[in-house]
Amino acid sequence: MNKVWQIAGREFIATVFTKAFVIGLLIMPLIGVLFVLIAPSLFGDRNLKFEGEIAVIDPTGLVMPEVRSAISARRSPAGVTEIVERARAGGADQMVLSVLGAATQLTLVERPASADVEQEKLWLNEPTPAAKHLALVVVHANAVEPSPGTSNLGTYDLYVPPRQDNRVEVAVQGVMREAIIEARVFARDLNRQELTLVTTVPRVRSVTVGADGERNTVSGFNIVIPVVFMGLLIMGVMFAGQGMLTTTVEEKSNRVMEVLLSAVSPMQLMGGKLIAHMGVSLIAMSLYLGLGLVALVSFSLFGLLDLKLILYLLIFYLIAFFTIGSLMMAAGAAVNDMREAQQLMMPLMMTMMLPWMLWWPIVQNPNSTLAVVVSLLPPVSSFGMLLRIASSSPPPLWQVSLSIVLGVAGVFGSVWFAAKVFRVGILTFGKAPNIKTLIAWVRAA
Amino acid sequence: MSVSTTTTAIELRTVTKTFGSLTAVDRLDLAIPRGALYGFIGPNGAGKTTAIRMIMSILLPDSGELRVLGARSALEAKDRIGYLPEERGLYRKMKVAPYLTFIARLKGVPERGLKDRVYSAIERIGLEGVENKRCEELSKGMSQKIQILAAIIHEPDLLILDEPFSGLDPVSTRLLKDLILAEHRRGATVLFSTHVMPQAEEICEHVVMIHRGQKVLDDPVRTILRPHDLRALTFEPLDAHIDVSAVRALPEVERCTAVDGRYEVALREGADAASAMGRVLGVVPAARIELKRRSLEDVFVSIVAGPGSNPSGASGGKHVGVA
Repeated sequence: MNKVWQIAGREFIATVFTKAFVIGLLIMPLIGVLFVLIAPSLFGDRNLKFEGEIAVIDPTGLVMPEVRSAISARRSPAGVTEIVERARAGGADQMVLSVLGAATQLTLVERPASADVEQEKLWLNEPTPAAKHLALVVVHANAVEPSPGTSNLGTYDLYVPPRQDNRVEVAVQGVMREAIIEARVFARDLNRQELTLVTTVPRVRSVTVGADGERNTVSGFNIVIPVVFMGLLIMGVMFAGQGMLTTTVEEKSNRVMEVLLSAVSPMQLMGGKLIAHMGVSLIAMSLYLGLGLVALVSFSLFGLLDLKLILYLLIFYLIAFFTIGSLMMAAGAAVNDMREAQQLMMPLMMTMMLPWMLWWPIVQNPNSTLAVVVSLLPPVSSFGMLLRIASSSPPPLWQVSLSIVLGVAGVFGSVWFAAKVFRVGILTFGKAPNIKTLIAWVRAA
Repeated sequence: MSVSTTTTAIELRTVTKTFGSLTAVDRLDLAIPRGALYGFIGPNGAGKTTAIRMIMSILLPDSGELRVLGARSALEAKDRIGYLPEERGLYRKMKVAPYLTFIARLKGVPERGLKDRVYSAIERIGLEGVENKRCEELSKGMSQKIQILAAIIHEPDLLILDEPFSGLDPVSTRLLKDLILAEHRRGATVLFSTHVMPQAEEICEHVVMIHRGQKVLDDPVRTILRPHDLRALTFEPLDAHIDVSAVRALPEVERCTAVDGRYEVALREGADAASAMGRVLGVVPAARIELKRRSLEDVFVSIVAGPGSNPSGASGGKHVGVA
C-alpha cells in the first residue's frame, strides 16, 4: 500500500504544482465572472435600430389608421413611456415586443385595398430601393369584424424579404397587434383604458415557506440547481479522467512505464494514479462548489439549498469517477499517443454527453420512465440520479439506494475491465487497438 | 531440472509465452546461481526481452514455472531487484535527485540516509551538479547514466539489464561496465542481455543464448571460447607489411590468409601445432601467436545463420596459445 501512496503522491504533486493546472482551475470561474460582467455589453445592442418601409393592404379600411397612429406613437417618448408602464403591469414578452417596436423606425406605405398581392410581393425584393422594404402586411377582411354567419375574427398575412433580421418581424408584429386591437375596440365602441384595466393582473412574487423561515421564491432555482450539480459532477470526472489519460499516455510514450513496473505491480500503479487524480479533481470540485456556496450566501439564497445534495454529489462523484476514470486510464494505456486516444475516448465522451442531452426531460419530469432508467443504469446512473435528487420531485429512497448499489457494481466491473486492459496495454506498442482487441487483451490478462 | 531455490537467483522451468500465433519464448529452462554474472544473448526478436519481462513479472507466462530470488514471482521480491529495461525513460519534468529519491522509495529504501545515498550515487557516476536539473535538460548520455543509477540505487540482490550498452559512447560504456562489475563484486547476481558480443565476452562468466524463443546455448564463457581446432593458428606480425611467403613455404602450412591485420594459418593433416608455431615464429617476428580461438560472435553467427556459416570452423581441441 505504501507504494500506491508513493505513486499517488508523485502524480498528485506533478499535476497540481503546474501552471497548467492552476490556469485550468481558475479559467472556468474567470470565464464565468467575465461572462457576467461583459456579456451584456457584448451581446446587447443598445443602438439597435431598424429603418425601412412596411406596406399594408387593408380591405377593412379600419386597421390602416390605427397602424399609422401606432407607428407614430412608438416614435414619441410619450409612447415609449406608456409601453414601459404597460410592461411593468403585464408580461415580459409584451415588453420585449414593444421595446423592439420602439427601436424600429418604420415608415408606413399605404396600398389600396384592391391591390394585387402577388404584384405587391415583388415590391419586397425590388433592387436598390431608396428605403429598405421590410415587410408586406395583408390584413384579412374579417380582421376587425367577423364575416357574416361566423363568429371568428381574422388576422393578417405577413410577407418579408429573405435574410431579414428576425427582430424586424417581431417589431412589425407588435405594431400590427396594437393596430388591430385598437381597430376592434373602436369598431365596438369600447373603452380601451377600461379594457386594459380589467384584463391586466399585475404579476406577484411567490414566497417560499420553509422550516427556517420565509423568503422570496427564486424562479428557476429548482431548474438551475440540478444542472449545476450535474455540471459539477461531469466536470470533476472529466478533470480527473483527462488527467489520467494524459499522464498514462505520456508515461507510456516516454518509456518510463516499464521502469515503474519494475518497482510496482500494474495494479499498484493504476491504484496510485486513480487516488492522485481523484484528489486533483476533488480540489477542483471543492473550489467550484465553494465559489457556488459563497455566491448563494451573498445572494441570501443559501437556505434554499438542501445540503444533503453535497453528500450525494460526493457519493455519485466517487461512483462516476471510478467507473469512467478507470476506463479513461485504460484507454490511455492502450494507445500510443493522444491522437489515438481520442478514438477510444469517443464512447466515453458520448456517455458523458448523454445526461447533458437528457437533463431537460429528466428535470421536467423526474419520475418518468426515462428518468428512472437513466438514473439506475451505469455508467450514466450517477449523473441521472443526481439530476433527479436535485430536482423538485426527488426519487424515493429505495431508488437512490438501488442506483448506488448498481453504480458500485458498475465500478467493480469497469475497474476489473480497465485493470486487464491496463496490464496488457501499457507495454504494447504499435497499432492502436479496437474493441475486439481490447476484449482479447482482457481474456489474455 | 532441479535447482535449489536457496542457491539460484533465477529459475525458469519450461516457460512459454505466446502473442497470438507467435511463440516468443518456447519452453525455456534457465537456472542462474546467486552471485553469478550472466549474459543473455540472441538475435533481434529472439525472445530475450519477453523472457526478461516474465522474470520481472511484467508479463505473465502462458505456462511453466518461474522463481526469482526464492519467490514465486518477482512481485514478491521487487525491492531486491534492479531493472534497466530496453525501452527506458525518465519523468521529463522531474528533477534528477527527486526522481532517484522517488524510485528509491518505491524500491523500499528507508528514509534515513536516503538523501545522502542519492547524492553519493550521482557523484559516483561523475554527474555532480545535476541533482536539481530537470531530466529533460540532461544529455542522452547523462540520462542513461541516471537510468542506470535508478536500477542500482537500492543495492539490489539481483540486477537485470536489458541491452544496457545500446546507445552509449565508449566512456559511458566503460563506466557501465565498471558499475556492473562493482555490483557483481558486491554480491549481486547480474543478468544482462546484449548484442555487443565483445562486451559479453569480456564481462560475463556465463552466457545463455536464445534463438526463436528456444535456448540454444547455456555455457560458461571460458568453455565457449576454448579453442577446438588444433590445425588452425593465428598470429599478429610485428610489422604489418611483412612478406608472409616464408610462412606459406613451410611444409606444415597448407595456406596463410590475412584477416583484419592478423594472419590465419591452416596446417596440413598430421602437422604438429606446437612445432608449427615455433617454425612460424622462426620466419616471421610476431607480437602474438596462438591456436585460433572461437569468439562469441562466431558462435552467435554460427547458431543464428546455421552451422555452415561458422567462421571459425572450430571442431574441438585444447588451448595451447603462446603469447
